[in-house]
Amino acid sequence: MHPRAYRLVFPEPKVPRAPSALRVRPVPPPPSGPGPHDQAALAFEPRELWVAAHLPRLPLAALRSDAAAAPVVVIDADDRNQCIVAADPRAEAEGVQTGMTLSAALAAAPHIDPRPRDIGAELALMRRLAGLAAAFTPQVSIESPDGLLLEIKPSIRLFGGLRELCRKLRAACLADPVFAQPALQPCFTLAPTALAALAAARAGARCFITDPAVLPARLKPLPVGVLRWPNEENARLAAMGVLTLGELLRLPRAGFARRFGPARLADLDRLLGRRADPRVRLKRRERYAGRVDLDHELEDHERILQALRPLLGELEQFLRERQRGITAVQCRFHHYRAAPTICALRLAMPEARAERFLSLLRERLATLVLPEPVRRCELRGGTLSERPLASSSLWSAGEHGHAPAGEMPALVEHLRARLGNDAVYGIRRVSEHRPERAWMETGKKGGDLLSDVSALPATGVPPVRGAMPFFWRPLWLLPAPEPLKQQRGRPHRSGPLKLLQGPERIESGWWDGADIARDYYRARDSQGALLWIYCESSGQSSGQASDAGAAHRWFLHGVFG
Amino acid sequence: MPAANDKQLQELLAHPSVWRGRSRAAIPTVSTGFAALDAGLPGGGWPRHGLVEILTPGPAPGMGLGELYLLLPALAALSRLSPARWCTWVSPPNEPYAPALEAHGVALDRMLLVRTHLPLWAHEQALKSGAASLALAWLPRASPRAVRRLQLAAEQGRALGVLYRSQRFAGEASPAMLRLLLEPRVRDGRQGARVSLIKSRGGAREPIDLEWAPGVDSAA
Repeated sequence: MHPRAYRLVFPEPKVPRAPSALRVRPVPPPPSGPGPHDQAALAFEPRELWVAAHLPRLPLAALRSDAAAAPVVVIDADDRNQCIVAADPRAEAEGVQTGMTLSAALAAAPHIDPRPRDIGAELALMRRLAGLAAAFTPQVSIESPDGLLLEIKPSIRLFGGLRELCRKLRAACLADPVFAQPALQPCFTLAPTALAALAAARAGARCFITDPAVLPARLKPLPVGVLRWPNEENARLAAMGVLTLGELLRLPRAGFARRFGPARLADLDRLLGRRADPRVRLKRRERYAGRVDLDHELEDHERILQALRPLLGELEQFLRERQRGITAVQCRFHHYRAAPTICALRLAMPEARAERFLSLLRERLATLVLPEPVRRCELRGGTLSERPLASSSLWSAGEHGHAPAGEMPALVEHLRARLGNDAVYGIRRVSEHRPERAWMETGKKGGDLLSDVSALPATGVPPVRGAMPFFWRPLWLLPAPEPLKQQRGRPHRSGPLKLLQGPERIESGWWDGADIARDYYRARDSQGALLWIYCESSGQSSGQASDAGAAHRWFLHGVFG
Repeated sequence: MPAANDKQLQELLAHPSVWRGRSRAAIPTVSTGFAALDAGLPGGGWPRHGLVEILTPGPAPGMGLGELYLLLPALAALSRLSPARWCTWVSPPNEPYAPALEAHGVALDRMLLVRTHLPLWAHEQALKSGAASLALAWLPRASPRAVRRLQLAAEQGRALGVLYRSQRFAGEASPAMLRLLLEPRVRDGRQGARVSLIKSRGGAREPIDLEWAPGVDSAA
C-alpha cells in the first residue's frame, strides 16, 4: 500500500494551528514606486494576475448598527440551523465563532444580539467597491458574498508598474468614505490565479505573488477553509488530518478525485493555475441615478445648484469610467407636499462634463417655478451613448477661421435650456409641389439637428444656379395664406396690387385630401414690396362658388426677399 | 531716422483696430455679392466681425423690401465656409422658405432658427458663442445699451451680426459698426433697392443703387 494512502486512512491527530508565517498583517505591500524589483516581478510573465479584495466584516458592516449595547452576531435567516455568519469582536471574545448554530452561540453567550443578514445591503457595498475598482481594469467580478476579483495584468503599463497600480487601487478604495471605515477596509492580495488570490485574501494573509512557480509553496500554510467548500467536506478533510492547503495538495490526485469528486480536483487545479478559470465580468449599471437629501429646505436656485454639484461630479465620474456620454439628464426636486418638480435637459450631442451640465441646469432652473422649497434632489442620467472625444483647441472660437465641433451643439443646448426644445430648429427642403409642404422643420423633437454637422464638404458645394422655378419662389412663406381684399376682381393690400408675372398653376395633392388648385402670381404692392399671391381657381371642390364674384379668391402666401 | 519712424508709424496705422476718420477701416470682410455695394463699403464688403444695422421704412422691421436679397450672397457664402458654423435667425417675421434659400445656394443645414420671447438674449448668445458666423435678428426695439452689448458680443464671438430695425430708429445713436437704410426701388421694371450708409467707417457718402440679380426678379 502506498504510504500516503495509509496516512489518509489513519491520520495522525494534529493540533489545529494558525497559518503561521503568512499571517503577518492583512495589508497589501507597502507603497513604493516601481523599482528594479518590480521589473523583476514582471519578467516572469505570468499569464494572468489577479487581485482579490475581501471584506472580512461585510455582514456586520452592512447592518449599519452603530452602537449596539449587546454583542452583535449576524445569522443567516434562510438557514434552518441559523448559523452564525459573523460576530463582532465582543461576541468573539465570549466564545462565539462563525459557523456555530445560533443555539450553540446563545448557550455560550446568552446576551448576544442576533440579527438577520442583509444580503441586499451587502451586494450594494460590493457593487460600490466594484465600481471603484472598475477604474483600473474592465475585468471585475464579484465573488459572492464578500470577495472581489480583478484581472489587472493588461493595466500594469498604463498605471506605471505593478506596485504603483496596487498602490493606486488601494488608495482609490480607501479614499471612498465607506471603505475608509476600519470595519470595511478590504484586504487585498495579488496572485497569478484568481482562486489563490481569493484564498489568501480570505485568510487575511499578506500575499503579493507574481510567479506561478512559487504559488504552491506560498499557499501551503493557509487553512483548508479558505476554499469555502461545504462544511461536511471540510469536516471529512479534518478527520483525515488535512487542515492546510499544503496537506491538501499533497494528496494523490486519483484517490482525492474518488473521494471528493472531480469537481473538487478541478478546484485545486484552478487554484494552482493548471486549469483555466474564466470569470464572468460584472455587468455595470448603464444608467446613472443619484440623490441627495438636503439638510435644509432650499428655495434659492443657486444653492440648489450647489447641492447638485456633487451629484454631477459623480455623474461625470460615472461617464468617464465608461467613456460614454449622455444626451438626457433628468433632475427631480422633491417637495414636502407638492408633486416632485421635474426638470429635464436634452443635449444635442453626448456630453460628460459636469461643468456643462451645471451651466445648462442653471439656465433651465432660471425658468423653473418651484411650488415649494426643495427637500431632496434626484439626478438621473439617460442611456449612455458613444461620445466623440475632442481635444481642447489652441485657438478660441472664430479665430483663424476656427470653430471646434463642440461649439455648434453647445449653442443649441444653451438656447434650448432657456427657451425650450421647440424654440430652436433647423429647416430642410422636401420634394413636393405644394409650396407649404415643400419645406420642413428639423430637429424639433430632439432629433437630427446636428446629425450632419461634419458631413458637409469642407470646400463647399457649388451653388445650384439656374434652377429657374425655384428662383420664382419667395424667400419668406407666411405660416398660413392670408386672404386679400379684392375690388373688381383685382387683389388689394393697402392699395391695388400690380401683377408682375404669372400665372403659375400649381395643382396637386388630390391623393391625400389636401388638394390645391392655385394660380400663383408675383405682385408688387404700393410700398414696393414683392409679394407672392395666388388665386384659387374656380370650380375647385372647396369653393363650389355660386356667383362669379366669389369664384376668384386671392391670398397672400409669400414675400420675396 | 525719420524714414524709419514713418515706416513704423505706417505699420502701426495699418493695424485693423486703428481707424482714422478720413480713411477706410482695414477690417476683414466678406463680399456682399454686389459690386457697387462692395465698392461703397469700408473694407470692400460686410465686416466679418461686428454688428450691422439694416433699417427699413415702415413702423416695424420691413419685409419684402429686399432686406434678405441684400444679404443673400453673403449668407450663401458664409453658410458654405469650411469650418461649419451656424447662421442663426432670431425671431424672423415669417418662415424662411427652404426651397428658395437652397436655390440661391444657401446650405440649409447650417441654418438655425430661434423663435422666442427673449430675442435680445438669444441673439447675444448666438453672437458671442463663437458657433455662428452670421446671426440675423428682427427686433421690434432695442436700446442703445442693448445694441452695444450685441456689438461687443459680435466682436467677442467673431460673428457678423445683423439687426433688422425700423427706419424710425435712424435718428437714435447706435454703437453698431455699420448702419444702413434700405429703400426699395424699381427701375426699368426691375426690382432693386437704394442703400444709404447712415454710419460707416469711411464708407461712401452717396446712396448706392442696387439691382437684384436677374434671376431673382425679372419677369423676362
